[in-house]
Amino acid sequence: MTALMTGELIKTRTTRTLFAYAASAVALAVGNALILILSKDLVTTADKQEAIAGLPVMLLLLGLVGAAGEYRHRTAAPAVLAAGRGRGRLLLARAGAYAVVGLAVGALTSAASLVVGLPLLGHEPGPGVGIGVILSVAAGNILGSALCAIMGVAAGALVRNQVVGVVGALILMFVVTPLLNLVNETAVAYSPLGAAVVLAGDPSVASLSRGGAALVLTAWVAAALLAALLAEQRRDLA
Amino acid sequence: MQRLARPLAAIAYRDDPPAAAPPPAIVVEGLTKRYGDVTAVDNLSFTARRGAVTGFLGPNGAGKTTALKTIVGLARPTAGRALIGGVPIGPTAPDARELGAHIEPCGAHPGRSGRDHLRSLAALAGLPRQRVDELLATVGLEQAARRRVGTYSMGMRQRLGLASALLGDPDILVLDEPLNGLDPQGIRWVRTFLRERAAGGRTVLLSSHILSEAAQTVDDVVVIHQGRLVRQGSIDELQRLGRGGVLVTTPTRERLAAAVRHAGGRAELQEAWDRMLIDGLDAAQVGELAHDERVVLHELCPSGVSLEDVFFDLTTEDDR
Repeated sequence: MTALMTGELIKTRTTRTLFAYAASAVALAVGNALILILSKDLVTTADKQEAIAGLPVMLLLLGLVGAAGEYRHRTAAPAVLAAGRGRGRLLLARAGAYAVVGLAVGALTSAASLVVGLPLLGHEPGPGVGIGVILSVAAGNILGSALCAIMGVAAGALVRNQVVGVVGALILMFVVTPLLNLVNETAVAYSPLGAAVVLAGDPSVASLSRGGAALVLTAWVAAALLAALLAEQRRDLA
Repeated sequence: MQRLARPLAAIAYRDDPPAAAPPPAIVVEGLTKRYGDVTAVDNLSFTARRGAVTGFLGPNGAGKTTALKTIVGLARPTAGRALIGGVPIGPTAPDARELGAHIEPCGAHPGRSGRDHLRSLAALAGLPRQRVDELLATVGLEQAARRRVGTYSMGMRQRLGLASALLGDPDILVLDEPLNGLDPQGIRWVRTFLRERAAGGRTVLLSSHILSEAAQTVDDVVVIHQGRLVRQGSIDELQRLGRGGVLVTTPTRERLAAAVRHAGGRAELQEAWDRMLIDGLDAAQVGELAHDERVVLHELCPSGVSLEDVFFDLTTEDDR
């Protein structure tokens, strides 16, 4: 499994995609912090926490583009032939590699939003953000990023089409999840994207604890990965 | 005592029954692949022996690539099975040291360098990094190794695909149209390389839609058309079919035909052109025979049936 993950990690870091997504994730995290802090007074701890919360869904897109790209660029077939240990194990190794990438990019985005956000939050009225909250938000964002990256790999392996996958994910993010939020605020926390947002430190969805969100997101990721593994065994490659 | 052990072991070995011959490198049994209503491969059976280059031939759309994908385990057969080294292909592909395959396209991300592409595959196969540099030198891609694959020519992509198939130095090599896009030097190099592998006891199965191109490389041929096997045999057999005969135009056909038959040849009248096709004798022999028999000849020439004509005949019989 180590060899398979090494091979998949080489693949992730030898194209520009990872670096483009990492740069975008950092820019969005910093932009989110700046917009929230500079646009209004953040008085409560919850407001301040939202400003330093991460955006793990970017990693979902990265995993999706990477996994679906295996079929677009026909790189899946030579990988299976070289690995020679079954498509399921290869997909798990790919998910593992993207989880590592998710941890790294999650740590980077958390560091960026904290470095930019914390000094500015110090000038805001009300109580400060304690070290416990900071660590909790950062840990949640990093874990959420890793889980979202695995979810993206599973979705990419299921859809096998980058455009369809990304458009579907964007519809889920900007149409389905907000609509669900309007219909039932409690239910949205149990959706994969809702749980990811809660885990990454956004306190606006209060119906679920961060630990609960981690469990919900893990369950979604496990289900998606299982579906992708079953599909991978049944479908043709290339 | 130890000194005795080896001679005794040798005696025991000589008394053992001879070891069973290894199974053919590739066995395909009743392989069928359907996509909805379309049957791409239809009850295909053939074998590829060890120590030989087998050409898998057929016109474009004959089902060669689909069959190869099914044989190496990239596609699931609708029916039938393929065995690599005697082991049925299942969900788990054989080890890269046993089977190497390059099925078009080359399967490299256009934004990744050729070297990184091979590095990732070597890591997946658990092979050392040095193998990548060896192969880049073998296929002549050292200079372009750090360039993105998106900037490669078709011939360079073919070389990269071949390098990926060779990573594990496999016993069995399956190549889909490996000569496509190669320059004459590249074609010669691939031919020599594959011949050397076969001479070393390895197995090569390569597809092509141009028989004359493959004829210089292969020992055996498997010809398919519309997904079905139309011929399997040695290239020599096919070349004998392609050797043709001698076309003769004469006002005394019956007399010449009798003389030809007497000389061990075969004469066939072609009514449409008022000519005779003679098999079993070459043009010089027919000319001498006509002279001896005082038969007037108006025309005497080789029939011109080429290997391509044979291939065309084999692969268009169903269409007629």
